Amino acid sequence: MTAAREQLLALKQVTVAFSGFIAVDRLDFEVASGELRCLIGPNGAGKSTTLDLICGKSRITAGEIAFRGAPIHAFREFRIARTGIGRKFQVPSVFRELTVRENLEIGCSRDPGVWRNLFRFTGGVDTERLERLAVLVGLEDHLETQAAQLSHGQTQWLEIALILAQDPALILMDEPTAGMTAHETNMTAELFNRLRGKHTLIVVEHDMGFVRDIAETISVMHQGKLLAQGTADEVSQDAKVREAYLGSGGIGHA
Amino acid sequence: MSGKVSRQILLYGVVCLAILIVPVLVDDAFLLNKYARYLIFGMLAIALSLSWGYAGILNLGQATTFGLGSYCMAMFLKLKTVPIHTGSDGLPDFMVWNNVTELPWIWVPFHSMPVALLAGILVPALFAALLGWFMFGGRIAGVYAAIITLAAMVVVNLIIIDQQSYTGGFNGITDLARFEIFGLTFDAYSASTYYLVAICLTVTLFLALAVSRSKTGLILQAVRDQEERVRFFGYDVALYKTFVFALSAAIAGLAGMLYTIIMEFASPTFLGVPLSLSIVIWVAVGGRQSLLGAMLGAVLVTGVQGALSETEAFLETWTLVMGGLFVLIVLFMPKGLAGAFEALVRRFPKAAREGGARHAAEQSPKSQPHLGGAL
Repeated sequence: MTAAREQLLALKQVTVAFSGFIAVDRLDFEVASGELRCLIGPNGAGKSTTLDLICGKSRITAGEIAFRGAPIHAFREFRIARTGIGRKFQVPSVFRELTVRENLEIGCSRDPGVWRNLFRFTGGVDTERLERLAVLVGLEDHLETQAAQLSHGQTQWLEIALILAQDPALILMDEPTAGMTAHETNMTAELFNRLRGKHTLIVVEHDMGFVRDIAETISVMHQGKLLAQGTADEVSQDAKVREAYLGSGGIGHA
Repeated sequence: MSGKVSRQILLYGVVCLAILIVPVLVDDAFLLNKYARYLIFGMLAIALSLSWGYAGILNLGQATTFGLGSYCMAMFLKLKTVPIHTGSDGLPDFMVWNNVTELPWIWVPFHSMPVALLAGILVPALFAALLGWFMFGGRIAGVYAAIITLAAMVVVNLIIIDQQSYTGGFNGITDLARFEIFGLTFDAYSASTYYLVAICLTVTLFLALAVSRSKTGLILQAVRDQEERVRFFGYDVALYKTFVFALSAAIAGLAGMLYTIIMEFASPTFLGVPLSLSIVIWVAVGGRQSLLGAMLGAVLVTGVQGALSETEAFLETWTLVMGGLFVLIVLFMPKGLAGAFEALVRRFPKAAREGGARHAAEQSPKSQPHLGGAL
């Protein structure tokens, strides 16, 4: 199925070293358009670092990252974002001093220029889309609430809504369900299943139940390398994967 | 939301109107000159509020751009001085004393009023844009950026003092002609000059308000909150910061031009550390996240300062009193007087009822996320 789709993102022999420590080691990693890919692995495997490399937060030491066939690893962060890559960070990083509505307005970043935005005021073209997004994540009654006042779960939802407002082709999610209740995790899984197809997602996640709910293909990383790739069942039966997780209580408890 | 905006516009309008009718009530040229000076400081506070309060860029060298604007106006007015005050061949007197025989090229464009007025705004803006481009492009932020702005000011100040034959050195540029435009003459001690300053202040205030209310203003506040995050939405953070830094400088430049008209000279002390730090104090007292608050903070602090320093009882101790007030306000009102005022307004019965209604809505059972509606 994957082969039939157009390739969206390709990491070729990507290596990154932080003062001698090799965090990602000659990684080859491809994602097709419309795919929902889960990236798992023990702590320190290089999952978050891989996301950092894709969105430009960290710079690769060697190799190439291509998006829609063109290399992007030399671009500055905002240029990478403008090609259509969005990132949700592990630690919620909403704009705490601004209201939910204002947060979402920042998220609508299709027109990122200083000059254009100087002549745009609240209540512009994005209003309807904004309110629809707020309904989608259950924040419609909190549009005028300061983001600092939201609960942890609500903050996570706002963070997800920000990414949806940005509407990038490729969404990078770092532990989207961290700190969520079981109910909220189910809602997130439902949301992700709706997103696939229209968006391409790469999700780094520790919650294996959640991963089983959403993933078609799982990539397992270990010590900066791709260890295995396949369906949830294939991966959990893989001998190398079992070995890598040995001592951390098996894949289910990672 | 729109009600809140129109209330804000109304409040700003009322304050500006109050400022504009002062000459009707005060018929003392000396006092009007003093009040106009306070208003110019208010413009400086607006400039700093934009960069510091909205974008989080603490500029400890705001006086640099103020001074550049001031010198542009002084150069123009010096060239307009009637020949009897000027040296031979129409050269400014201090150049003759420094054995300069020909008008330096940098002075030549200042024969033209449009060029001089534009320069008073664009020279500070370009200076700030260049400095900002280096700082923000290089990801220098926070206290390091503040130190660079301070250092840049010291450098410009030293250059002006050092280049005596072009700038008048320590003495600055004195003995200026009166500013004339559209057949109007602006005497430093007159109601017309007060009106000129008050109108410039009003325009600046509303311009700054529009910027702060635009999406660009919103993005700047987001940069203040989480600079890193804004970048990953595709906004060029360095460009946004450079823009607001340059805009702030342009306002300071305009204020500097007016200051030259009011003071009738330009001096290297205008680009000094004391003035720069004073601006920070005014803005902190008034409330850095409120343009109006910052402006009124400047008028209030300089006004009280003026009154105290002229009162016999405080002749020796007024700096101490001011310092004490500043410490108290920063300690107990982190958002300045504007923040304290807003907190007070929220306690009014009407506002309380609105707040209560919103609170009830928050308690409604709809607070659970649900995935209704199309994406």
